[in-house]
Amino acid sequence: MRRTYDAVIIGAGIVGLSLAYELARRRFGRIVVIDASYPGSGATGRCGEMIRSCFSSPEWIELFDDSLKRWQRLSDELDFNVLFTKRGELLLASTPDVDHKQRDAYGLHRHYGLSVELLDHNQVRELCPAIAPEMIVGGLLQTDAGNAHHDAAVWAYGAAAHRHGVEVHPYTTVTDVTVESGAVTAIHTTKGTFSTPVVVDAAGGQARDVALLAGVDVPVDTVRWEAFVTEPLEPFLRPLVSASAINGYCHQTSRGEFVGGTTPDITDYSTGVRSTLALARDMATRWLRVFPGLAGVRMMRHWSGLVTQTADSSPILCEAPGCQGFYLDCGWTYGFMGAPAAGSLMAELITTGSAPRTLAPFGIERFSSGKLVRDKSIVIVDSERSA
Amino acid sequence: MAKTVLCLCRDITAEDVKRAVAEGYGDMETLKRFTGAVTGPCQGKTCQDAIRRYVAALTGRSIEQVPVPPTRPPVSPVRIGTLAARHRQ
Repeated sequence: MRRTYDAVIIGAGIVGLSLAYELARRRFGRIVVIDASYPGSGATGRCGEMIRSCFSSPEWIELFDDSLKRWQRLSDELDFNVLFTKRGELLLASTPDVDHKQRDAYGLHRHYGLSVELLDHNQVRELCPAIAPEMIVGGLLQTDAGNAHHDAAVWAYGAAAHRHGVEVHPYTTVTDVTVESGAVTAIHTTKGTFSTPVVVDAAGGQARDVALLAGVDVPVDTVRWEAFVTEPLEPFLRPLVSASAINGYCHQTSRGEFVGGTTPDITDYSTGVRSTLALARDMATRWLRVFPGLAGVRMMRHWSGLVTQTADSSPILCEAPGCQGFYLDCGWTYGFMGAPAAGSLMAELITTGSAPRTLAPFGIERFSSGKLVRDKSIVIVDSERSA
Repeated sequence: MAKTVLCLCRDITAEDVKRAVAEGYGDMETLKRFTGAVTGPCQGKTCQDAIRRYVAALTGRSIEQVPVPPTRPPVSPVRIGTLAARHRQ
């Protein structure tokens, strides 16, 4: 079986599906999205669903504020309720140092017109009475941040892409990529060959392996994180909370469950998604420091997901050098949050051939030129990297 | 009007399942995400069998042809304080 397409996107997570939708909306032609499993089965369906734009670098603020604005109107645009809930997000400062850094970033947030407020100890206690007082120095609240339902977002983009003629082939694994005279010409899969001049690597935890099939070396580490969900509780926590003191992020769902994750201290370089008792205990220990009231609450389930980390923890969004038509939309740590903007910006790059200003800083050449894009307000362990 | 409740934790009725299947969420992986069924405190131990049978009947498959999602730990819900206790010593 041999079929011809104008673009093949590898990975039917939110990153690949939002790009498929944005390309189709621009009438790019015949587009197919393939996935080794079912849509949303990878990092998208396992993520913490946090959506904000109050970062500490201009590059991240511009990318993620574009995305936040898209999230806020996504249900209307896609005609499918993605359950975006504007809870606000609190960045909890538990040390004077973090509080000081957040106060510095506040100036940048105001410059970009973000809806942020600086809170002192008492204001944080009033907003989130469940947080242990000794963990509160201050906080930064983005009032229009929120969360959305990850599966609903996948279905919404999938359905909208389908209406625009996009094909989605689940349970289809890429086995090889053909590159001729420095340009991609076809991909080979377990369901046959697809001829195409455009291939997008949106394969999340498998992005590095997929790129290698095209001879492209993507400098990312794939690591395993975990998260958990508790039994449903009375409403006790309005905003999403990001707690750098424990490298954690959490929210209470509209069904009342507490969903939290943490970044483990010891980086687990893995593409496996089995959960471990060690991390369940580690997460429980950390979150009890912030929410002592959770001690008597039962954990219903915990699970793993993969994030990909680059040297600066920023995504790679560009055409691969030396491989014309092979595009990279990977290296994400905050892919769910950034997907709506990235889909649109990458579609613009692919259709026009030039990178929009917001996208330009995220090219792969930054790792050789040294122009890294570091954001200091993200919740991940990067002690090895930040030295 | 009488209702048949299939998922007791989440109050998901047979009618809810029927509607979800009709909308295209016809396997357990997508059905659980769309309806919330089997994601409550029992984690499907009470309801998953009945729902699976109903989905099989609605979609004209045998029960074996309706795969179940992976079971995630813990087997039974465990208090956060119990999990954390030994770490805190």
